[in-house]
Amino acid sequence: MESEFYDAYSKRHELAEGWKQAGKGIIGYFCNYTPEELIHAAGIIPVRLRGSSENIALADAHLPTFCCSFIRSCLDQALRGRYSYLDGVVIPKTCDMTRCLPGIWKRNMKPSYFRALPVPGKSTDEAVDFFAHEMALFKESLEEYSGHKIDDESLNKAIKVYNENRALVQEVHKLALSDTPPLSGSEVFAIMLSGLILPKDEHSAMLRKLLDDLPPAKETADGAVRLMIAGNTFENMELMQAIEECGGNVVIDDLDIGTRYYWNHIEEGSEPLKALAAGYLRRVPCPCKHPAQPRLEHMLKLAKDYRVKGVILINQQYCDTHLYDRPWLESSLQQAGFPVLLVDHSDIGWVGGKFKTMVRAFIEMLE
Amino acid sequence: MENKQEKPTDPFKPARLATSAALGILNENYYNALASAKADGKPVIWITSMAPIELIYAFDGIPFFPENYAALCSSRKVAAEFCETAEGSGMSQGLCSYALCMFGSIFEKRGAFGDEGVDEPDILLATEGACATHPKWWEAMQRHFNCPLIIIDAAYTVDGETLPEHHKSYLAAELEKAAYKIEEYTGKKFDIDRLREVVSLSDQASELWDDIDDMRAAVPTPITQIDVFTCLFALVTLRGTKEAVEFYQQLRDEVKERVDNSVGSIPNERFRLIWDLFPIYHNMRLLNYFAEFGGAFVTDLYGNAFSGRVDSSDPFNSLAERYLSFFMRSASWGKSELYKKRIEKYHVDGIVFHSNRCCRCFSAEQPEISQILRDELRLPSMTFEADMVDPRVFDDAQVKARIETFIEMLESRKYPK
Ligand code: SF4
Ligand code: SF4
Repeated sequence: MESEFYDAYSKRHELAEGWKQAGKGIIGYFCNYTPEELIHAAGIIPVRLRGSSENIALADAHLPTFCCSFIRSCLDQALRGRYSYLDGVVIPKTCDMTRCLPGIWKRNMKPSYFRALPVPGKSTDEAVDFFAHEMALFKESLEEYSGHKIDDESLNKAIKVYNENRALVQEVHKLALSDTPPLSGSEVFAIMLSGLILPKDEHSAMLRKLLDDLPPAKETADGAVRLMIAGNTFENMELMQAIEECGGNVVIDDLDIGTRYYWNHIEEGSEPLKALAAGYLRRVPCPCKHPAQPRLEHMLKLAKDYRVKGVILINQQYCDTHLYDRPWLESSLQQAGFPVLLVDHSDIGWVGGKFKTMVRAFIEMLE
Repeated sequence: MENKQEKPTDPFKPARLATSAALGILNENYYNALASAKADGKPVIWITSMAPIELIYAFDGIPFFPENYAALCSSRKVAAEFCETAEGSGMSQGLCSYALCMFGSIFEKRGAFGDEGVDEPDILLATEGACATHPKWWEAMQRHFNCPLIIIDAAYTVDGETLPEHHKSYLAAELEKAAYKIEEYTGKKFDIDRLREVVSLSDQASELWDDIDDMRAAVPTPITQIDVFTCLFALVTLRGTKEAVEFYQQLRDEVKERVDNSVGSIPNERFRLIWDLFPIYHNMRLLNYFAEFGGAFVTDLYGNAFSGRVDSSDPFNSLAERYLSFFMRSASWGKSELYKKRIEKYHVDGIVFHSNRCCRCFSAEQPEISQILRDELRLPSMTFEADMVDPRVFDDAQVKARIETFIEMLESRKYPK
């Protein structure tokens, strides 16, 4: 696929090696609940830790095979040395796997900076205060590690950089409100992926250019069936392309690296730590947060606004947090008039043929 | 190993405690109270393990533990059907088998004894902080029963050694809020003095349990792992009641008598082992298989998950501290440290890891813990995969073969020819 965004993502390790050689610090982090702005404000580049479709070999000595392949693959990639450029790692506690990982990661990877970040499960005022306290401790530890003072001004600046980037990706998402979306679902997916690893100002510059140079809208729709993709994260660009080959187009998502990540806005102001805490805890919730209802509402609203015909709900095997919600999400979406295709996915051993057969049948049913 | 005795009929069968008979009565009373709760006007609150049961007794309510009930279904050999029913309704087979089994029972309206199962809850109460399954499972039950749900939040501490003040105060406030929610839902007035009484009883039961736990260090060890697992019932379900305290007094006295008279739990103790972590409810006898080779389980962490000292003069803060410092909440390094202490204190020769495939939360770190103990203490270990509740994946012959290999290895280390 031709896309400078996808290129950047595919070459993410080479790019990071380059930043490292240029003297930059790099910290890898998991999940949507790590406040990256703090890392950015410490003068360090935060990169999202990701798995790969490469076979898992080394991680099996450290994690049972009945754990989600996302975490197994991330650990495997690290053990293979793919992440050797990282100076540190932040693991927020969001699910049972991110809870078990800190001890394993710390002992085997020995990062020079390490933080296991406690995250509340709720988003009440008390939870926000609690998390703001954790932000302050996190900030201190980053300052100590980097020797770089993080004041309100630099933090507000970081928040601004992140807000701009989030707003730009939201703008990209909104292009698909049109009947003739100028970008395909896989192109948008590449944009979301690259934003996980590129420094935000760089990503934003690329996005501005893309938005400025957009071709004029097509006159007629191409007949692709409008779909939403929801659930867990995945690496596989082939998955998005397979949907397109089958006559579908993903116009919107509810993925942890998609709208749940980018559709957030943090207030700049006099209490940036508290703003961060509130912003992170009150974004569209991942299933590790309670109550779960706001996520369903988000999905229903997206499905309506983006006029999707159906939803592909994709889940990692052994991902408890997501899987408890699955029957409920499925029936609620269906009741609201959005048929659902359930997919068990793992990047490792991805079965493209089987997936295409399922998607084709689903799309036929929608048409 | 040929010497046949009259009694017990099986020469390798470990000696069970007389007090465990008292357990049957406690059990029966509890299930009777549960069955008549509606008629007695007592609120039935379904609660997760590692949750403040003390609050429920303070309201004169009846706590019900789906986890316990699923274990009961498993030992009564109806769990596989229940899990299948839950899977048939769209729940993933990989989920915690406690949850699957309970959902099966709920959907089928059938219980562990071929009865109609248990009554619907008045309130659902879960804590965030033991595992991620708890709140998600409770949310799913709330959608089914459409009754009030209380989730008590606690952020994960990861580092179990130090408990930051803000973690404690956050949970203490959550507990207090939960008390007022229960008040609202049940229409019963919350009485802090009653909570103090309950907390004091909870503390007494814990203290007794800790005594028993200490006595397991005796050589030979006085109590079998099966007794530990089964006698836990009162600590899990009745913690905060007089009955639990009386039961553990009796149990402690009997265990003490055994220790004083050097009576071991198995006929010929040759190896002292740790069982990590969950019981296998459909195959408790597997523990006896170790006994056939002189393997005795002398300590474990699971058994201690439910005890914890609490101070009735400051109930909310103290409960918060107790539920946060629970060992299972520490990362693998913290658990390994706990084990290291126990390995010394209990003269341990080896550790057995039950890799409980449906419980990521407490199985994912086992390989790491095993490596740490091997690297630092040269402690031999064996690992086998099973499911605590669901018997469908269990491979008896393979597991037994592993046990035999493990015992041979222990034999050559401890008793070299
Ligand atoms: S949320 Fe699910 S997929 Fe993600 S790390 Fe946790 S268990 Fe794995
Ligand atoms: S067995 Fe594991 S996943 Fe299931 S409720 Fe217990 S701790 Fe949670």
